[in-house]
Amino acid sequence: MRRAAIIGTGQTKHAKAHDDMNQAELVRQAATRALSDAGITFREVDAVVLANMELFEGRALPEMWVGAGAGGYLKPAIKIATGGTSGTSAAIAGYHQCASGLFDIVLVVGWEKHSEGATQTGMAMVDPLWDRNVASGAVGNFALSISQYVAERGVTPAQAAKVAVKARRNAAKNPYAHLQIPDLTVEQVLRSPMLADPVHRLDMCPQSDGACALVYAAQGVAEKLCAQPAWVRAAVTRHDQPYIGDLDRRLVTMRTLRDAARAAYHQVGIVEPRKQIDVAEIYEPVSYAELAWYEALGFCAEGKAGELIDEGVTEMNGELPVNPSGGVLSSNPVGASGVLRVAEAAMQVMGRAGAHQIADARVALATGYGVYAWSDVMILSADT
Amino acid sequence: MTELLKISHTMHLEWRYGVGASFHEFIAALRARAQILGRRCPGCQRVYLPPRPVCGNCYVELRDWVEVRDTGTVRAFTIVHTPIIDPTTGARRPSPYTMALIQLDGADTTLNHYLEASDPTKLRIGMRVRAVWRAQRMGLLGDISHFTELTDE
Repeated sequence: MRRAAIIGTGQTKHAKAHDDMNQAELVRQAATRALSDAGITFREVDAVVLANMELFEGRALPEMWVGAGAGGYLKPAIKIATGGTSGTSAAIAGYHQCASGLFDIVLVVGWEKHSEGATQTGMAMVDPLWDRNVASGAVGNFALSISQYVAERGVTPAQAAKVAVKARRNAAKNPYAHLQIPDLTVEQVLRSPMLADPVHRLDMCPQSDGACALVYAAQGVAEKLCAQPAWVRAAVTRHDQPYIGDLDRRLVTMRTLRDAARAAYHQVGIVEPRKQIDVAEIYEPVSYAELAWYEALGFCAEGKAGELIDEGVTEMNGELPVNPSGGVLSSNPVGASGVLRVAEAAMQVMGRAGAHQIADARVALATGYGVYAWSDVMILSADT
Repeated sequence: MTELLKISHTMHLEWRYGVGASFHEFIAALRARAQILGRRCPGCQRVYLPPRPVCGNCYVELRDWVEVRDTGTVRAFTIVHTPIIDPTTGARRPSPYTMALIQLDGADTTLNHYLEASDPTKLRIGMRVRAVWRAQRMGLLGDISHFTELTDE
């Protein structure tokens, strides 16, 4: 293994509907922007990794977009689809390809056009003999697990709403974000329609159209192309049992995220995550999940996530800013959402995050969440 | 800018699903006897529902069948208010409705199913419930119409 770094990122504007572009055009816009950011062209790319959940668009073979979209004709290309983790899994696969020594420059592109299909139908295509009978979308499954988390941890609806407010306020500083609501209040979140107790509409992520791309380069190449690459210091994936009912108090225990974080921290030498990580971009499909992830990631002690948000620790100006981009709660084109977490973490380390830049960010954490409890963790650093 | 053309398309699709040996037994017992069968791991002793060939924690093959009761304990619940399309019928489910993760007596995993209580304010984690079966069984989880509070314990 050799070192590899992200040397460029690019994304489209994320929106309720991108009627101005088809899927290939969306992919191409993100890919072109990432290559331009890296200062290279499609010609220099050795391999391509795509991430998309084609089920949501009802359009098979999204690999077809690899040529017109990602410039991948006559090059090795793969597609990865692992639910919400698709994007982080693709980012980790791209890193593996580059760090293995097989390819010097790898392009990763994730995208989704939720406006083209029925996301809820896609979510319902689970085991026809088991979970499908009562399938109630991502919100139903989350609400079940949240009921356990709330019962054990005592977090309040207002504390969860603070997460939702933080996300949309941060998003107002991110020109690409879908939901930008600079003046959102906790009261507005709590007054928004109840989807499934205790999850209000504004506690939940939107469904977005959008794409995001990033460019990896191997050590020896990266330094020549980029003044401040975002070096990958850890990339860990953990999967778990197939049914929601297999998982013991999913949000409370979240053993995949706990284990992935522990392994990643060990690789990097992180013993005090809150002090040693400068910024985090975590995959929070619902406000309550962000609180649960704080505990799983060791940002606070068990049961202290509510206090962490109350004290403002994870705000843009706090000790450990979480999701300065606005996160999944503000933009959620599923196949791109994981790529976005990694790209946004890279932008912070590279000093290219614009109005939502965290000053002197040198170590950044990115996570992915998918299916019932799959987790990816990446740690990026300004230092090799 | 010109608004670009959008087209709508509808697909009616049919699939077949090979249920595998574990589900085969499970379905047969459910249809013939309204019996719920799980499988016990010889390693960690965990009883899995639905039954499956291998314990994901121990990587051990599961061979022992265990009868699980149709009574259990609510481990999680939510009242769903948002409109949801029932994927088994394609029709919109009347809302609000309550669904729950129910740990059946004798199982270590939980079952995701509908819950109906005479008084919704009495819903709580830890409440005891029983299955309400449909008159005619097809060998599907939907043979259980819903769960309701267990009062005669």
